Amino acid sequence: MFLVFVSASIVAQKNPCTLSISGKVLDAETKAPIPYVTVRVSNTDKYDLTNQDGIFKIEGVCSETNTLIISCLGYSESEHEHHHDHGSSPHFYLTPTIVGLDEVTIQAEINKDKGTESIAQVTVSKEEIISKPTQTLASVLSSQQGVTFASTGTNVELPVIHGLSGNRILILNNGLKHGFQTWGREHAPEINVNSTNSITVVKGAAGVRYGPEALGGAIIVESNPLLLNNPLYANVGTGYQTNGRGYNANLEIGEGTDKWSYYINGSYIRIGDRKTPDYNLTNSGREEKAFGFGVLRHLENWDFKINYSFIDQNLALLRSSIAGSADTFIRSINAEEPLIINPFSYDIDEPNQDVQHHLAKAEISWWYSDDAKLTFRGGIQLNQRDEFDVRRNSNLPIIDLDLLTYDYQLEWQHPRWYGLNGLIGVQYFSQNNDNNPGTQTTPLVPNYNIDRYSAFITESLGFGKNTFEAGVRVDFESNDVRGRETNQDIFRDNYNFTNLTTSLGYIRRFNENTTFRTNIGTAWRTPNVFELFSFGQQRYESIFGLLRFSNTDGTSSTSEVIRFEDSDVEPERGYKFINEFKTTKNGNQHNLTVYSHFIENYVFDRPIGVFGTVRGPNTAFFFDQVDALFLGADYSWRREWTKNIVGTFGFSYLWTTTPDNEGDLINQPPISTDYELQWDHGKLWKFESSRLTIRPSYTFRQFQAPRTIPLESLADGSVEITTDSEIFDFADAPDGYFLLDLSWNLKWKAFSANIAVTNLLNARYRNYLNDLRYFADEPGRNILFTLNYSFKSKKND
Amino acid sequence: MKTIEKLMNLRLLAILFAALTIASCSDDDDAPGEEDELEVITSVTLQFTNNADPMDVITATAVDPDGEGIAELQVQGGIALAADTQYTLTFIILNALDPDDVEDIGEEILDEDDEHQFFFSFTDGAFDSPTGTGNISPATGAINYNDQDDNGNPVGLSTNWTTAATGTTMGTFTARLQHQPPVNETPVKTSTSTSEDGEPDFNLTFDLTIQ
Repeated sequence: MFLVFVSASIVAQKNPCTLSISGKVLDAETKAPIPYVTVRVSNTDKYDLTNQDGIFKIEGVCSETNTLIISCLGYSESEHEHHHDHGSSPHFYLTPTIVGLDEVTIQAEINKDKGTESIAQVTVSKEEIISKPTQTLASVLSSQQGVTFASTGTNVELPVIHGLSGNRILILNNGLKHGFQTWGREHAPEINVNSTNSITVVKGAAGVRYGPEALGGAIIVESNPLLLNNPLYANVGTGYQTNGRGYNANLEIGEGTDKWSYYINGSYIRIGDRKTPDYNLTNSGREEKAFGFGVLRHLENWDFKINYSFIDQNLALLRSSIAGSADTFIRSINAEEPLIINPFSYDIDEPNQDVQHHLAKAEISWWYSDDAKLTFRGGIQLNQRDEFDVRRNSNLPIIDLDLLTYDYQLEWQHPRWYGLNGLIGVQYFSQNNDNNPGTQTTPLVPNYNIDRYSAFITESLGFGKNTFEAGVRVDFESNDVRGRETNQDIFRDNYNFTNLTTSLGYIRRFNENTTFRTNIGTAWRTPNVFELFSFGQQRYESIFGLLRFSNTDGTSSTSEVIRFEDSDVEPERGYKFINEFKTTKNGNQHNLTVYSHFIENYVFDRPIGVFGTVRGPNTAFFFDQVDALFLGADYSWRREWTKNIVGTFGFSYLWTTTPDNEGDLINQPPISTDYELQWDHGKLWKFESSRLTIRPSYTFRQFQAPRTIPLESLADGSVEITTDSEIFDFADAPDGYFLLDLSWNLKWKAFSANIAVTNLLNARYRNYLNDLRYFADEPGRNILFTLNYSFKSKKND
Repeated sequence: MKTIEKLMNLRLLAILFAALTIASCSDDDDAPGEEDELEVITSVTLQFTNNADPMDVITATAVDPDGEGIAELQVQGGIALAADTQYTLTFIILNALDPDDVEDIGEEILDEDDEHQFFFSFTDGAFDSPTGTGNISPATGAINYNDQDDNGNPVGLSTNWTTAATGTTMGTFTARLQHQPPVNETPVKTSTSTSEDGEPDFNLTFDLTIQ
């Protein structure tokens, strides 16, 4: 996968819409012409295919500045996959004799991963990522339709795709499943966005290709593509933000010769307490350090690639989000402002999370023939997590976990066989989770080992304008769990799963501008260790896993650990049907995605009310399984109003229900809509380019929120809750809110500057998907200034 | 030449694979280590000792036998005091989840007495000293604290009580321990902090009779 820009200077003509672009697409290494390549003028319906000599000609072009999109997709993809893998800049080469216009940007189209071609997906480019370097991974993606984030405060943000998040969304970090504590809503993936090159969201069930956790979708994080023939470059960026007085710096250096390529990067972010329009969010700062490098060795038919990345995060959680009893919780909910507000500080105190994540990967690719490739990928990840809480021994972590993940993948992209293109793979994945002693509290999550053996095959068959795609995957997983009960007795359990994942898709390209994709995917997900074994107090709730809670004849008990084989716990089974219709005509681009997702045995934490403890009454939740149905649509409409003004309208809708009438599901994304208007000034004063973006958005109140039962009524016993009671929440869903974001980007020579204002109107609002909505408002206006400098040494052709 | 290069590459591949494989296979079956659970309180005993007769001790206990489990708190009996008598109130606070290793949480509280305070509320008129209804509501109510922390603020591990001569029936007595750790190194427990500051470690209400 790649995304690269190349500029070429060409001659301009005068009359509008009588301009033409012609050229020749050559392999930059061999200088051989590449036939059957689609060359399209971006955002128009003008395109041409290269002929046997690699020549194309596009007439009737209106604009003097164009982006050419060059892609082999769907035609001779496998023949040229080698070219794709090494990026466009060295491989797509335009002859200098191109007659045409002012400026042509060549943009190679993202090559979708095998096995996911029929699933709707969107990619966020490097340019977009670096314009807001202090964002989290989830907030970078949240401007995409159908994607949002669930959060716990200002720093812990998890991507949500079509209503699903956490361990139902697989995060593929550099080709490996990101191995982290993926339970609860308070553990976000430890990924530094400044070190990424692109982030792709696959919106459908992509389990066949990536593993059963991709039930709700996948997020593919790519690091530097390690391009060959890429002269020495360096990118330096720095920034300051007003809200939280945050500052950041990042650096990347790299170079590619004809045989080698390398990069090295680092990033530092520090933000203090954030501020709502009215008060400081005491203890909401963040500190993040990241470092990474990669090396590629290229031989004629071989690529050897090594990557390493490290991130160290210290994330503060709002001080006022601690509520050990219903009494404090009631006071927090009823207070207009958080109970603790202190002056601004960079200090990160309890509650906080201190995490280090190491990822090392080696990848070997061998093109043993023109259209076949073997890839071996091996990776090790170490995730060390310490969480601190406000308690008597607050200097000791309350959670201290080391998670070691191994991942070995062997993939064979087989030669074309009776028109079939496909990928066959085997995978061994293992995780070892250990509690470090000395927390002076019974571990919330037990020690465990997971061993998983997987095999998959995905095939596509293209004829004419049609492509069929089908895949199947088998996972065998064994779990070995050792934990402690609160009386310090040891419990052990062993259980195995065999999961079957399938996918069936179809793509129809009506013409170069209109595409229809449809995909039905099934995935089985094993409930994770937290969902099975959690026990006890977490922030404002007591939570009990599926194997720690029993209910016989209306009497609830948490006194024993149920063995898995004696329980009625079933894997989650998801069936996702997703359709995407994309069309571009006369400067209008429409993209409609419609989906339905039925999940059998959907695992969620369900309130069972309030029970008495020595601290006073306490809110309690237990994990439960119900069948759930998600129906939704994402729509976007991009229109070029003039040559320089482009508007994009977006709308996301999601409707959920529990067919067994258990009530509305809690924490589902509300309806949202936005309009982004981009105004390119071209040259402005001394600047080579200037672009102003304005983005109003409106998020509706979640009208499908569960009923509200005030804690007071639960605490005084006037409302009785049992395990069969309808789902409820402790507070009403927050009102809808209007936000206005503004961004201005300027380029001068190798410098680019960006001013991004979020929440320009300083609106007071609470976000339904933020777990801390009970306690505090969202941050107010933030102005982020960033300055980037890109150095690129001259290359002699 | 080609073959040699291919063989070289295969060897490189084998070495890489071996390096990665050796590093794995670290399965173990260790359970998490045993922890001294100092957060959970499973039993609180109030001890009223008659100042005139140290052998005369009246106790009232509340037990939450499964700690963080879902079983309800059990308040075991009420407090029955003699009228017109001086008592000293002390506490036994335990985590008895592991019967072989009972933790005394009282020691922890004494160690961190600058971030803990006991608060009380009771039926009006039950005591001659302190008078009123205690310092939970209103926060300014009087309590006879016998101890103080390094900052000179009351703690409440020991308090003095004189029952009224006229008896009380159907009364209530609430004892509440607030944990008030500092925020951003600013103390929360001060001379003006109240039972609303911090988080309850326990908050127990007993029936009170005085006769």
